[in-house]
Amino acid sequence: MTSRPDRGSSAGRRRTVTGGPGPGLTGLSRSLGRVTAVRFLGSMVGLTVTVPGWRGAVPGQFALLQAEPSRCFLARALSVSDEAGEKVSFLIAPVGDGTRELCALRGGDRVWVLGPLGKGFDVDALVTGPERVVIVAGGAGVAPFPLLLSRLLVKYQAVSVGGTGGGRRTPVAGGPKVLVLLGFRDGAQSGCALPVQQAVSEMEEKGLRCRLEMAFEDGSRGPVEKATDLLDRHLRSGDRVAVCGPGAMAAAVWKVCRAVPDVETWFSLETNMACGVGSCHGCVLKLADGSDARVCHDGPVFAGKEVFGA
Amino acid sequence: MPDLSVRLGPLRLEHPVINASGTMELFELVEVLGSSVIDDPPVAAYVPKTVTLERRAGNPAPRILETTGGMINAIGLPGPGLRAFIERELPRLLALSCPVIISIGGFSRREYTALAGGLKEALDRSAGGDWTGRVGLEVNISCPNVCSGCASIGGDPGETAEVVAAVRALWPGLLVAKLTPNVTDITAIGRAAAASGADALAAVNTFKGLVIDRETLKPYLGNVTGGLSGPAIKPLALRTVYELFAAVDVPIIGMGGVATVQDVVDFISCGATAVAVGSATFREPCLARALSEGLGRFLDGRGLALGGLRGTAHTRE
Ligand SMILES: Cc1cc2nc3c(=O)[nH]c(=O)nc-3n(C[C@H](O)[C@H](O)[C@H](O)COP(=O)(O)OP(=O)(O)OC[C@H]3O[C@@H](n4cnc5c(N)ncnc54)[C@H](O)[C@@H]3O)c2cc1C
Ligand SMILES: Cc1cc2nc3c(=O)[nH]c(=O)nc-3n(C[C@H](O)[C@H](O)[C@H](O)COP(=O)(O)O)c2cc1C
Ligand code: FES
Repeated sequence: MTSRPDRGSSAGRRRTVTGGPGPGLTGLSRSLGRVTAVRFLGSMVGLTVTVPGWRGAVPGQFALLQAEPSRCFLARALSVSDEAGEKVSFLIAPVGDGTRELCALRGGDRVWVLGPLGKGFDVDALVTGPERVVIVAGGAGVAPFPLLLSRLLVKYQAVSVGGTGGGRRTPVAGGPKVLVLLGFRDGAQSGCALPVQQAVSEMEEKGLRCRLEMAFEDGSRGPVEKATDLLDRHLRSGDRVAVCGPGAMAAAVWKVCRAVPDVETWFSLETNMACGVGSCHGCVLKLADGSDARVCHDGPVFAGKEVFGA
Repeated sequence: MPDLSVRLGPLRLEHPVINASGTMELFELVEVLGSSVIDDPPVAAYVPKTVTLERRAGNPAPRILETTGGMINAIGLPGPGLRAFIERELPRLLALSCPVIISIGGFSRREYTALAGGLKEALDRSAGGDWTGRVGLEVNISCPNVCSGCASIGGDPGETAEVVAAVRALWPGLLVAKLTPNVTDITAIGRAAAASGADALAAVNTFKGLVIDRETLKPYLGNVTGGLSGPAIKPLALRTVYELFAAVDVPIIGMGGVATVQDVVDFISCGATAVAVGSATFREPCLARALSEGLGRFLDGRGLALGGLRGTAHTRE
């Protein structure tokens, strides 16, 4: 490890000694990506970053992002929202210094990326249920779902051409059914629904049955209601449910789901993080059995039973 | 590359940059970085998280928050306890290609001796031959996040001396005392540890601090207080290394806010023999190796040997 060929020019050397977290240093595990697209989606920002060496994510996995240069000490956890090769997209709500800094990046700007990290949604478990896949998201919780929808599309297409040989209980038996229920505080927040709407349209174009409904808490577009009200109306026995949103919403979704038989749920959860890789033990969440889980390492996606009990 | 190797008691380190206890779970990193992280660890010696005698759950959430130029934590030494550590961790630690410095934390002198004794027995049994060139011990007498023991021992020269002497009596390998900065005079503690048989001092653990929840206006952390770390504490930590270097003859492992090559250079200038990276590994898991390579380039550029850098801050020209 002591014999790296590149000793750097004298300018490089100076940068190494006085520089910030990374430039000029070699052998790092983070990738220095470049912003290739910025989309303004209501109160949120869609950031697409080209990440050299990106390995490909499971929906629900996240990455740690830090602008270069940055005023923050630590990177911030963001769900992978979509990916195409080394182009990785994130949907970011500017809530504090770190996310505001990321939302202010423009094309060509540099950003450190470590990921993909954590355990994502089990796509097979979602599609092999007897009924529909139901996606429930609140606010910035929409972030992981464009990627999940595109993976569902691939799965269903494989099944419908007989690709997986899954026998009679393939989800395609009655036509794939995906129901997407989104809840927003207000119209501005719902701007971030666009990538999900596009993924839903693509599914419909490919002949797959997929429906999207939105609820607005301020009543600006229809009745005053929440995503859980939509779920309450639509949930059926046999559904498989993927959830991402604020803690209070997750608990309310669980209450709705546990009242219906044969419903399985998976929640993508959030806590404060530092390392994102299981090293600091800072991101713990108390599970139903009383044990502490590290959200970054054991999650961020957990089965509802693990978190809320029976 | 210049020769970067250093000695800490019987341990030989290929370069001076290691990790700080509690900030790197090397075996978890495999999932993200692949098995190369085990075959060729990014640290010159690996320091696992502090091991306690019994299983501990740790503190309630929230446990961490970013602060200006750093972070605060109140993790509370969660862990499976000594027996599970010996069964599950020790074998894979012994298989690493770099030396290991096992950190232990107790609530009384008896707990420290039980930990050191239990580890020695397990190593004699399973490490095969003389293991003292591969495994060292760090007594953490400085964790601010557990309500009794630990830091209260490290806050008192008499208790420090007792614990270090008791562990020294039964531990044949490298013995490091990790000091708390939350004392009036750190040199009094450092002298007591060195005089009682510590081969090296680690300075420093986190600075006790507190953050307020901006919504409730109550303490934010589940444990109320926590330990401050990261670049914000670097000048404070440097000062402790500077003072200790003048006060003791044993090598010092410097830490506190190390994030750049300049930070490594600064700690060595103040007298550190080795330097540990803590919180900054949270944003870059392989930082320690990158910094050691950067240190090599720095020394090349200045035409200095590593030994020539150590302690230079103390000499007036
Ligand atoms: C696995 C995972 C995936 C995520 N995915 C996304 C995503 O796709 N999109 C997205 O927008 N976000 C996502 N998040 C959330 C995102 O990581 C946070 O919003 C971000 O870290 C906030 O950083 P910040 O610096 O902007 O805000 P900060 O200022 O750090 O604030 C962060 C949070 O801490 C609280 N806080 C900070 N200081 C205090 C204080 N003194 N008192 C009380 N509360 C305080 C704030 O209220 C806020 O909720 C995800 C989080 C996780 C864990
Ligand atoms: C999340 C976290 C956990 C820590 N756990 C331990 C521990 O288990 N044992 C220990 O001796 N020090 C522990 N420390 C202290 C560090 O080892 C180090 O002394 C301190 O953080 C200063 O270095 P830094 O500024 O580079 O982080 C911990 C620090 C942090 C931030
Ligand atoms: S964020 Fe460090 S263990 Fe999860």
